[in-house]
Amino acid sequence: MDNSKEITRVLFENFQPQAIHLFYAIGYLAIAVFTYGVYVQIRKYRRGKPDGSWNELFHRFVDMVKTMATHRTLVRRDKSAGRAHGLIFLGFVLLFIGTSTITLEYDILEPLFGVKFWYGNFYLLFSLVLDLAGLGLIVGLIYMMYRRKWLHLPKLDYKRVDRQEGDPDFDRSQYRREDWAFLWSFILIGITGFILEATRLVWLNDRPEVWDYRMWSPVGALLAQIMQTFGMVSESAGAFRPYLWWFHGLLSLTFIACIPYTKIKHIFTAATSLMFKDPLAGRRLPKVPDDQKTAGYKTITDLTWKNLLHLDACTKCGRCQEACPANAVGAPLSPRDVILSLREFANHALSAKELPKEAELNIHGKDVGQVFMETLWSCRTCLACVEICPVAVEHVPIIVQMRRNLVEAGEMEPLLEKTLQTIHKTGNSFGESKRKRAAWAKELPFEIKDARKEPVDVLWFVGDYASFDPRNQKVTQSFAKLMHHAGVNFGLLFEAELNAGNDVRRVGEEGLYELLASSNIGTLQACDFASIVTTDPHSFNTIRNEYPDFGGKFEIEHYTTLVKRLIETGQVKLKKKLDYRVTFHDPCHLGRYNKGYDAPREVIKLLGCELVEMARNRDNSFCCGAGGGRIWIPDPVGIEKPSANRMKEAGQIEGLQVFVVSCPKDLTMFEDALKTSGFEGQFVVRELIELIDECIEYEVWEDTAVTA
Amino acid sequence: MKILVAVKQVAALDEDFEIRADEKDVDEDFLLYDLNEWDDFSLEEAMKIKEAGTTEVEVVVVSVGPDRVDESLRKCLAKGADRAIRVWDDSIEGSDAIAIGRILAAVAKKEAPDMIFAGVQSSDQAYASTGISTAAYLNWPHAAVVADLQYQAGNKSAVVRRELEGGLLQEVEINCPAVLTIQLGINKPRYASLRGIKQAAAKPIEEVTLSDIGLSGADVGAGNSMSHVRRMYIPAKGRAEMIEGTIAEQAAKLIQIMNEFKGV
Repeated sequence: MDNSKEITRVLFENFQPQAIHLFYAIGYLAIAVFTYGVYVQIRKYRRGKPDGSWNELFHRFVDMVKTMATHRTLVRRDKSAGRAHGLIFLGFVLLFIGTSTITLEYDILEPLFGVKFWYGNFYLLFSLVLDLAGLGLIVGLIYMMYRRKWLHLPKLDYKRVDRQEGDPDFDRSQYRREDWAFLWSFILIGITGFILEATRLVWLNDRPEVWDYRMWSPVGALLAQIMQTFGMVSESAGAFRPYLWWFHGLLSLTFIACIPYTKIKHIFTAATSLMFKDPLAGRRLPKVPDDQKTAGYKTITDLTWKNLLHLDACTKCGRCQEACPANAVGAPLSPRDVILSLREFANHALSAKELPKEAELNIHGKDVGQVFMETLWSCRTCLACVEICPVAVEHVPIIVQMRRNLVEAGEMEPLLEKTLQTIHKTGNSFGESKRKRAAWAKELPFEIKDARKEPVDVLWFVGDYASFDPRNQKVTQSFAKLMHHAGVNFGLLFEAELNAGNDVRRVGEEGLYELLASSNIGTLQACDFASIVTTDPHSFNTIRNEYPDFGGKFEIEHYTTLVKRLIETGQVKLKKKLDYRVTFHDPCHLGRYNKGYDAPREVIKLLGCELVEMARNRDNSFCCGAGGGRIWIPDPVGIEKPSANRMKEAGQIEGLQVFVVSCPKDLTMFEDALKTSGFEGQFVVRELIELIDECIEYEVWEDTAVTA
Repeated sequence: MKILVAVKQVAALDEDFEIRADEKDVDEDFLLYDLNEWDDFSLEEAMKIKEAGTTEVEVVVVSVGPDRVDESLRKCLAKGADRAIRVWDDSIEGSDAIAIGRILAAVAKKEAPDMIFAGVQSSDQAYASTGISTAAYLNWPHAAVVADLQYQAGNKSAVVRRELEGGLLQEVEINCPAVLTIQLGINKPRYASLRGIKQAAAKPIEEVTLSDIGLSGADVGAGNSMSHVRRMYIPAKGRAEMIEGTIAEQAAKLIQIMNEFKGV
């Protein structure tokens, strides 16, 4: 290396002053166009409703930098694309820093203070790093092109499932064209950059301070070698260079000017979207402010600025669509399409100087950019989309907000409407008398305490399905026996317990949810207990994550963690081991919603079972189809049910004996699906509690033993 | 233009109910109250006329009953009714449908509506005569069991289709003002969201006493009704029997019963 000042790069050598001025003028123009675009975007976001996500900005920023630096969310479930993006990202960042470094010296430090640092060793290292960055960028872009052209990934097909062929926005081909324009212009900038570098080397090959150090820009040096082999000499290179220089320069400036108007803006929107990520998105739905007249989202301006920002962050990668259970069975829903529709709508309606009339802001309907009611009602609120989105788009909260508006307008399935009325009237979705809620307990050989009348350690919130569904009542009784056997001091709320409201809220009936939640909170607060346990992941989620917003802060756990502890501490003694080959289905509300992946698996292993995972497990678990109130809406005839789809997946496991669930709704859904999908007799569906039960009280409950 | 919709809060039986000690009704502890199903439809029919938007239409719901009825009235207000009136006096207790009709007619005289809608019947008592007796007291024309209505706010008459037995419809032209009793299925009642019901709490429910409408205790109550409940009871079990056991056992039992019946 050599630290002499001569070792640096020529910038405007041989340029006429007018040419330099012209270049600067174009540069400023590009910056102006860019700035205006950014202004229009920010004006658009400011037309959204306020959002309180401004807290802990520093913490959010650090998290965002970590996520971006590791590309953690991008390599998930698509390693190659994630890594290729990593190369592009790193290349872009380094090249951007590199160019800024030159600007810093040439336009700021040198003219103002006479400071120079871009020479010698620093320059050589700079040159090497940027060469490698450029190479990485091109390699990454080539993979992306290959992937688009030859891999034929369904998730990159933008054809819509909620529109018909012939509808104006059916195939979204403009996105495909934009993708290719982006890839080509980006790769051309990289390639011309290298050719430019090589041309400069050939042009200046008589200057030892350039030519002798050419290997510090290896890609350029290699290209220079090739050019020379093909007969390029200093003069021809010198003559060719200005054309190339202008082409490269103008393309780059155009690229910068285009950022806020094209998908390139994801550089900023994805980053900020990640920064404003809500770790409880979907798990804790937003409250409706007391003073707000209508609930939910009717117009595009009902969305918060954060929602609008999320819309712009979407890069159409299709991971959400791939994970969506509704989409998998052919329902007219792709989370990506909902986001893109709203984005197109927002760009159309909110980018102009004046806001259009209220009526033109309605996001519900059948027109271009509007979201169909059928689409919104197809959602199971399983959070698979929110979970996998690499840029933290929060689809489910938006969908639920839109449903709130549909509910207010009464635009829902008659059966769902009936169920909501029933829940309002009786406090449960079965339409049973409140008095019958704890009827299952009458058959037990012991009395269960009434937590309203005496203090208990553990308050058991049973939930509707576990209380009223005859099949689930058996499981409920088993769990009662287990707790009794373990000597847990527990009690129930009996007829004072109401539906916890988790699914009512996800349907979008916020008023009913408020009623149920505040009633339950009032009941719970009047009781003396240390913590709550439930076998129902849905109740678990809303009590854990949403009741605090209504003043109900309680310790709550799902039974799987409690049982695991009871077994480990020896309070529950397993008298025999099971040798079943089982698989475990993560309930959405226990797994994805609350990260309760491990406890049920550890219990399964403690029981001695051999656990074989399905392909879609843990955070990629596949919804049974019952979430978001869909258990109250009949599935359309003729299309596959998500639960049947899941059965097929389980059926692929060689020698599977038990399909283990840990959620009352799962038990109902999958026992049903087992019969209809033709796997009856091959394996059985069991609640984890039933397997534990086999190990502790098999003389009483042998009738529930696995008989497959 | 005003439409008066007469509604009722009806009682539904809870699981394992008990009869009151005086044997005249079910013990109130075992009753669940809700708006009469027919009234959802008659209110919706009024709302449709209001929303057709040719003339300004005021929809007023009226009910006779104690405090608890406010909850049902609020549901009507949530669905878009402009005002609600609740008539009550302890002396009204025990009134039959005809006496209730007398009260409703008195309210109508004060409100002077252009139309009165009521449900065909109530799901708990099923007299199917409240609406009709109201018309009688007002000396207005009436049509019962209306399954279709063609009427625009301000019209002098309406065309109604009445549902008769055997799938017959009778098309009737009726002069207004009139009392129509509305049948289930005439429309699709809207959903009253709970937030809507909560917000409707801000709308006033006018509490009206008997003297406000020119009546007194001598016009209402069990003593001034033309019919009274003597007894409410669960009849002795009929001959229905659930046959339990395996399919074979059930079949054997069924054959045995059939043979006994034939006297073999």
